[in-house]
Amino acid sequence: MIGRICAGLRSLFSGLRRSSRLDAEMKEEFTLHIELRAADLARSGLNHTEALRQARREFGMMAHHAEDGRASRGLRHFDQFRVSLLDFKLGLRMLLRYPGLTLVAGFALAFAICIGSATFEFLNQIISPSLAFHEGDRIVAVRNWNAANNRADMHAAHDFEQWRKRLSKVQDLGAYQSLVRNLIINGEGTPLELAEISAVAFSVTRVAPLMGRTLVASDELPGAAPVVVIGHDIWTRLFNSDQSIVGRSVQLGRTLTTIVGVMPEGFAFPISHSLWAPLRLSATDVVPGGGPTLRVFGKLAPGIRIEDAQIELSGLGKRSSIDLPLTHEHLRPQVMPYTQSIVNLSATNSTLLMSSNLFLVLLVGLVCSNVALLMFARAATREGEIAVRAALGASRGRIVGQLFAEALVLGIVAALVGLAVTRYALQWGLGMIEAELLNDGGRLPFWVKGGLSPMTVVYATGLTLFGAVIAGIVPALKVTRGLGARLKLATAGAGGLRFGGMWTAVIVTQVAATVTFPALAFFVQRDAVEVETVPVGFAPNQFLSTRIEFDRESQVRLLEDSATNARADFQQRYQALRLRLLNEPSVSGVTFASRLPRMYHGWNQIEADGGAVAPRDVAMGHRVSRVAIAPDYFEVLGVPLVEGRAFNASDALSTARVAIVNRTFVNSVFGKRNPIGHRIRVVAADNDATTPVDSVWCEIVGVAQDMGMTSDYGQAGIYEPIGAAGLLPVEMIIHTRGDPKVQMPRIRSLASSVDANLRLHQLQRLDDVSDAEVQFLQFWFQVTAMVSAIALLLSLAAIYAVMSFAVSRRTREIGIRVALGSSVQAITLAVFRKPLTQIGIGIVCGAVLVTMFSTVATGHSPSLKQAAIILAYTVAMTLVCALACIVPTRRALSVQPTEALRSE
Amino acid sequence: MDETTTLLPGTLDVLILKAVSLGKLHGYAVLLRIEQISGGALHIQQGALYPALYRLEHQGLIDSVWGTSENNRRAKFYRLTATGRKRLGLETASWNRLAEAIGRALAATPQEVT
Repeated sequence: MIGRICAGLRSLFSGLRRSSRLDAEMKEEFTLHIELRAADLARSGLNHTEALRQARREFGMMAHHAEDGRASRGLRHFDQFRVSLLDFKLGLRMLLRYPGLTLVAGFALAFAICIGSATFEFLNQIISPSLAFHEGDRIVAVRNWNAANNRADMHAAHDFEQWRKRLSKVQDLGAYQSLVRNLIINGEGTPLELAEISAVAFSVTRVAPLMGRTLVASDELPGAAPVVVIGHDIWTRLFNSDQSIVGRSVQLGRTLTTIVGVMPEGFAFPISHSLWAPLRLSATDVVPGGGPTLRVFGKLAPGIRIEDAQIELSGLGKRSSIDLPLTHEHLRPQVMPYTQSIVNLSATNSTLLMSSNLFLVLLVGLVCSNVALLMFARAATREGEIAVRAALGASRGRIVGQLFAEALVLGIVAALVGLAVTRYALQWGLGMIEAELLNDGGRLPFWVKGGLSPMTVVYATGLTLFGAVIAGIVPALKVTRGLGARLKLATAGAGGLRFGGMWTAVIVTQVAATVTFPALAFFVQRDAVEVETVPVGFAPNQFLSTRIEFDRESQVRLLEDSATNARADFQQRYQALRLRLLNEPSVSGVTFASRLPRMYHGWNQIEADGGAVAPRDVAMGHRVSRVAIAPDYFEVLGVPLVEGRAFNASDALSTARVAIVNRTFVNSVFGKRNPIGHRIRVVAADNDATTPVDSVWCEIVGVAQDMGMTSDYGQAGIYEPIGAAGLLPVEMIIHTRGDPKVQMPRIRSLASSVDANLRLHQLQRLDDVSDAEVQFLQFWFQVTAMVSAIALLLSLAAIYAVMSFAVSRRTREIGIRVALGSSVQAITLAVFRKPLTQIGIGIVCGAVLVTMFSTVATGHSPSLKQAAIILAYTVAMTLVCALACIVPTRRALSVQPTEALRSE
Repeated sequence: MDETTTLLPGTLDVLILKAVSLGKLHGYAVLLRIEQISGGALHIQQGALYPALYRLEHQGLIDSVWGTSENNRRAKFYRLTATGRKRLGLETASWNRLAEAIGRALAATPQEVT
């Protein structure tokens, strides 16, 4: 039995592999047979020509026997589905013949392929990126994993030294730490991410400098002159591509350092850096479990697999855990692909992320089923042509093959467009993210690029085939089902074809999606508009804002001193900066706060000692925003309090805590009653809250206007005075005279002159503060709007095509009804009943989805306005449905009953 | 009167197996061999032979090699495989039982059934 199966499979594969050769061999065999038979006949007395003719006659149709021969080899099914070049040519012709369908279906397929491949590419770049260096796949990361707390232990200076000496399977070991430092050029400080890195990094990556030199081992020696290598973007952005940059001295924090080289464009090893200084580890750094936080990298030795290196490393780890039980008992050294240690996704999370591709495949499936609906409608209009082909001997498989080829041609064109758009969209999306990161000196990891990998192209090819199967084969099978029976009854091409339950489901799904997607886009846009237009009560375009932080030296001191002293030290410096700024004629006021208006504020759950109304949700309580401010906050912003008093200098020092609340707070917590004199306290807070939960009662001393406090729970908020210890970091607001942006360089140089380590982050106009969030929302809105537009377009086209087709199929029935004396109203009602039911179910499903989404996303049911919008969609959808029904119904009604019956 | 007999359905395969069991043969020679061993009583439609040959080859009962025919042309020669030989034995035994039973049935007389 098994032998027979094997022989059969072998024969089948051999037949498939050598299909054309098989045909040639059969022909050769048949020809020999005829020649031998002719020779026998000639020997019996016939002349050669007559013998050959008779031999041919006796043999029969060669093509017929060849077909039977292929069938005997099990190739019939494959033959039936064989697609020829002619089918593709015909498919191309169909694209041109039905431009409307080509545009709608092609657009939808291109969109689905674009979304699918962009996500695949992006996820691949995050989960398993390739490093574009020489032997980049051999670059690895080495780290200690603490089995006791399940975290990476980064204090690896001691182990780094050990690994560098003893590991043979990982070579060129290096380490780095990432810091933010002020690069001061012409007195103006710019905070930049600096990698203090082993010089070996440049030989591991094998990237030559554009100018000057890279770091070398001697730069790491204690006492060596401070040097720095800069990246291409710093060179162009901050030094105007100065050709004589090498050898120039710049101030990096408090250190005067020499630029020794410029790296080429795109080089950002180890992550997204463009400033490199030598890593110098002192003897005090290299202690077990101590020293700075380091990341270690290296290169696998030639021919060594990562598993081999892990065995060697585990051996060293075991020895360390015995020799150094206090610090190394739970440490398990690991070697892993370089990016894995940075992206730090667990296998489960990677699988989860990659599984989102499945969702996108389903999206492609849904889009393709819509396209299938259109293709079915088109195939139905060609039923006559298909029937003729079948009558002329084309098998069902051949017809299905042809329709598949047509869908595939459409899919290929759509895939080309989709991939081109994906490439552009990835560049655009990453560019937007990078522009946002650059605002704060950040960049995307160097391995995240906008291009398309070959894997993504293969994936897109798979999606295209998948799409072509759904959009081509499913409607083809439907249109050819029972074709033989219809041919016998002579109804093929004359309306025997009907839509089934599957298509009803597709229509309902489409209508539901058409209602849902625009609503989704509307909610996103509404959020974007709300954030952008949230009132602040003053003119933010007259103010500058910046986050002030300290460089590393100060942070080291922070560890050494008590936290309070360090904060006081920092406060002393930013107060010094405030005084310097106030001396400027262009500055009219300076104040500080923990958060800025229109920034996202975390929530704090509060309770009041009396007078408060019950919260809407008892379990959640009253959730409000909370900001610490300087006493002159309202004065500098020029916003007078509505009631009560502002903070004074003694409030920060006093043990009796005070607070100012805003109007929304008064309305939502105290039901519009006067809250002054009441006490409140914070009992819980989310992770984004800037000030700790201390549950100390605060007396409300004033009521302010709403000034752009935004959180997930509205605009209710409380203000507290900045404590005696100050804040670290702190947001500074500067009121300027004239254009605030003109003052920015001056403010930077003043900060550097107060202390070279004082860093100003995100120095910008106050009305630009919400930009990040708004930009993201607008980006998201554009994406959802595009999805909605496509969903709408496709759904409307498909609904129109299907309804129109379904009604036009009923011409005969309408003719009979007219002949029997039915009224126009009765006929119209009968025709409209089914389509309207389908649309109605779709709208109900869509409305339920929108309500669910709205409730989950915003915490409450859709508003009256949203309900009105859904209603508007309902009306639009019904109109489209009506239009799709009216045109063919009118046509059918205008035909004389006798003609309608005769034509059928 | 025509002496040839129409083949019973399903018997062509076993006849081909028998023919090639006597030596490897190309397609036309299989036809001649069947006519020869049946004493010219069995007539096979020529084109129908090849699908049957391919089917048997597909089932692994015969296999083929390319060689040279009597007129010095390239020809495909078929021969019996071990599986084919086993199948031929089974089919022959089965046919004999059937033929014997039918022969006995057809030779029955009224005396035998009373």
